[in-house]
Amino acid sequence: MKHVSKIGIMVFAVAVVATAIVAGCANAPLRTEASTSGIRAAEEAGAAKVPQASLHLQLAKEELELAKGLAAKGEKEKAASMLLRAEADAELAVVLSHGDAEKSEAMAAVERVRQLRQDNQ
Amino acid sequence: MKTLQFLILVTFVALFIGCATVAPNELVNARSAYQLASQGSAEQLVPAELHKAHEALVLAEQSFLKDPDSQKTKDLAYVAQRKSEQAGALGAMAADKASKDKANADFRKKQTEIVKQGKQDLSDSEQRTAAAQAEIDKQAAVKEVKDKSDAEFQKQQAEIVKQGRQDLSDSEQRTAAAVAELAAIAAVKEEERGLVVTLSGGVLFRSAESTLLSSAKVKLDQVANALLAVRARNLIVEGHTDSQGSASYNQGLSQRRADAVRDYLVQRGYPTDRIQARGKGKGSPIADNASPEGRANNRRVEIIIER
Repeated sequence: MKHVSKIGIMVFAVAVVATAIVAGCANAPLRTEASTSGIRAAEEAGAAKVPQASLHLQLAKEELELAKGLAAKGEKEKAASMLLRAEADAELAVVLSHGDAEKSEAMAAVERVRQLRQDNQ
Repeated sequence: MKTLQFLILVTFVALFIGCATVAPNELVNARSAYQLASQGSAEQLVPAELHKAHEALVLAEQSFLKDPDSQKTKDLAYVAQRKSEQAGALGAMAADKASKDKANADFRKKQTEIVKQGKQDLSDSEQRTAAAQAEIDKQAAVKEVKDKSDAEFQKQQAEIVKQGRQDLSDSEQRTAAAVAELAAIAAVKEEERGLVVTLSGGVLFRSAESTLLSSAKVKLDQVANALLAVRARNLIVEGHTDSQGSASYNQGLSQRRADAVRDYLVQRGYPTDRIQARGKGKGSPIADNASPEGRANNRRVEIIIER
């Protein structure tokens, strides 16, 4: 009796752990950190002031909301996939923001050289 | 290289799928975006980013092969498109940065050249200024010397003039004193040819002789003393006779007597280069030779003190 009881306890424990693991995977929260941090980075980079970057920032925000909606409906896989879109748009918004600043600085530098040469001919 | 692999993959996919399955718009856009990015500066400047885009596109293509119409395939293709656009943007950004860096380097180089040229110009200007200053100093020194010389000259001139005036005044005083002294011992007359001192021939010489009498020497000593006070003047000693005797005799006698008087005055200290003797014979009478008094007056020696 004691032996059966001991095995039973072990089986029960394994079952509980397995159940917990399965239940944990099924109810894992949506990982939106990468998307939200990407969106924040784009905003800090001044994406709102650069037309093309602003467009992708807006798309990222919309995609994040869509992902949250899908997650709420239990469509975890679609939600995760949508999050990938949001991350990609947010990253592109950051790059376009920086690219715009870099382009402006390059043009200013070239103009500065041209002006210097013209002033010292 | 990656572009070639991508094209091979696309061709492979197209061969196997053919017209049976149409790629979703997301995948078409992703392929186009990747091709565009790989044709730009991304492959050279940001190859890692282009590689990421390539991997994302491979994942999308694999998903398309496995499940062409799935949302996952569309999402992966969408991500691949964004990664490709990102690579393209990063490539352009790197090109802009390179352009900026080059412009900044050019700017610094040009600034350095300008500063160098400015220093050279400044150095040249300083040299020119120093040369000009040296020239000014030189001219100032020359002017100072000239001014000093002029002042010295003017001072000397003034002294000379002053001394000249003083000498003239002294000379005039001496002359006046001499004239007064001469007037006391002989006949003195102011004429156009100068001051004429007339000594009687009878006082100086025996008749028909040219040797000075002892009494004549006393008289001539007085005359010499007076003349020595005005030794700067030229003297002419003229001998004159009366009309008796031949002209040549009288000429010779008058010359000898003039010489005798001159020699005596020189002996007494009068400068020899300032005194000359002339025999005038009987040609310049001052009285009538018809009477003994007249002839006595004509026998004379005249000492002319030139002006």
